[in-house]
Amino acid sequence: MQARGRCWKFGDNIPTDRIVRSDLIFRPWPEILQHVLETCNPEFPKKVQAGDIVVAGKHFGQSSGRAIAAKAMKNTKVGCIIAESFARTFYRNGFEIGMPILECPGITDQVSDGDVLSVDIESGTIVNETTGRELKAKPTPPFLLDMLKAGGLIAMADRLAGEA
Amino acid sequence: MNMIEKILARASGQKAVEPGDVVVANVDCLLLHDLSGYLTGRVFDKEVRRPMRYPERVVMIFDHHFCPPTEEGALVLEENRAFARRHRINLFDCGNGNTHHVAFWNGFSRPGTVIVGSDSHTPIHGTVGCFATGIGNDSHAGTVMPFGKAWFRVPETIQVRLSGTHKAGVTPRDAALWLTAQIGEGGAIYKSLEFCGPYIEQLGFWDRWLFPHIVVDLGAKCGYIEPDEKTLSVVRTVTDKPFDVVHGDADRKFEATWEWDFSALEPQVACPPTVGNVRTVGEVAGAHVQWAELGGHGGGRLEDFRMAAQILKGRHVHRDTRFNLVPSSRAVFTQAVREGLVEMLHEAGGTWFPPSTGSNQAYNMGAMTANESMISTHARNFPGRNGNPEAKMYLASALTVAASAVAGKIADPRSFL
Ligand code: SF4
Repeated sequence: MQARGRCWKFGDNIPTDRIVRSDLIFRPWPEILQHVLETCNPEFPKKVQAGDIVVAGKHFGQSSGRAIAAKAMKNTKVGCIIAESFARTFYRNGFEIGMPILECPGITDQVSDGDVLSVDIESGTIVNETTGRELKAKPTPPFLLDMLKAGGLIAMADRLAGEA
Repeated sequence: MNMIEKILARASGQKAVEPGDVVVANVDCLLLHDLSGYLTGRVFDKEVRRPMRYPERVVMIFDHHFCPPTEEGALVLEENRAFARRHRINLFDCGNGNTHHVAFWNGFSRPGTVIVGSDSHTPIHGTVGCFATGIGNDSHAGTVMPFGKAWFRVPETIQVRLSGTHKAGVTPRDAALWLTAQIGEGGAIYKSLEFCGPYIEQLGFWDRWLFPHIVVDLGAKCGYIEPDEKTLSVVRTVTDKPFDVVHGDADRKFEATWEWDFSALEPQVACPPTVGNVRTVGEVAGAHVQWAELGGHGGGRLEDFRMAAQILKGRHVHRDTRFNLVPSSRAVFTQAVREGLVEMLHEAGGTWFPPSTGSNQAYNMGAMTANESMISTHARNFPGRNGNPEAKMYLASALTVAASAVAGKIADPRSFL
């Protein structure tokens, strides 16, 4: 599993309410996607491309535990989200819906908005192609990599419940 | 092992578990509200398409709508009702109160059990001595509904030892707000927090409730208080189902022990834009508020209305401020009627709303313009939850909220007592 693209950089403690505004959660995806993270960076929903990489500070995705915030990020088609740390519900939801996520303490000092990054999800190797620097994310637990490879939790639910 | 480890070991059929283990555990109760329930229901019906294995363990509570103001809201509720009927799950329709309070009052949170919910404040049930945590729609729909199970990584536990007694005008909510700032948003990511110490022991059940309430915004997975006689006697008033109380071993280990003393604490206010931006009331006193509200998981308790009555006795709500009163459950409203609080606060200029989650996320009520501000007992103040993202939400104790309603601006409750 690889991702390569432009880095979109965000700050600390971004709540799900700013990923998907709470008055939009029942709207159709195209409308939700027009507003993803817009109060953090109005350019993001307009210009994000498939494969781009979101880099955030500490505790990304705090607030609501609803998977809709993770699903919205997945539907923007970003290739990976890398943060100093995640809110645990966002982290969990990410793997459960098949959105690649890496935790990499120190990342925000090493990349700038607009840099080109390439990422290997399994090994956690992150290369900043703009600066030539290489970083290593925290290893992802094998159980979660397995889930990601299966395409998410629902695809492996009977195996997980011991009823495959 | 500590209480959470023991509960997870038992629920996953193992003798022992350790932090870092991934377990698949039986789930005793799944809590859904009208928003999360809708999203989960869709995933279950469209992507999972299996029978609901234990419908009696699944509870849906409509709390973000006490009465839908839009057709879009009405459609959400209609679909939720059909889902509940089709799968024979428990349903508490509009007007019952706030998710977690309704679940508690109806006997769904019991010591020693595993409770999950999409609502991120689900850890609040740790107050009764259970393992309770928020997980996402896909876990609910994918493994809890069809199999009665969920996966968990066993968390590391930090002991939070609290001591001290409050000065007049300072309440457990002030302590909880202040603690949020001390630990910091994301200051306890993935951890389990055991609240204990002489401060916790002397609190009543509904004041203890305010501590597991904050853990989600600290990033923690769960928070709990070991059940004592005080807790058990309250739980016995709401359920006659049996439960197994679980206690941690006396020699249990913690990743860390954090200690705080609240004796010198002043009234606190969490200021926009985040729950960790906490100041003493003196630093923000004077900021105008067009709205004041008692409600939400952290408010709308009987204790909150009693505190408001203390402040409003012989006084009236300011003419430029609206004071919303939102009971957290029907049981609280009944008791407020009996104690004369409903009439007293109404006469003082407050407005009663149906039991619900009130202005939380402005589904029922509580939308604001860019120029407006509210002070409330709600759980959160992030931008974009109450109408215009520029609108300001301040979080405080019921005393401070009521004092601000009288003053028309944020006010120190101590000058009203
Ligand atoms: S803040 Fe709102 S959505 Fe979150 S737990 Fe409380 S009532 Fe539920």
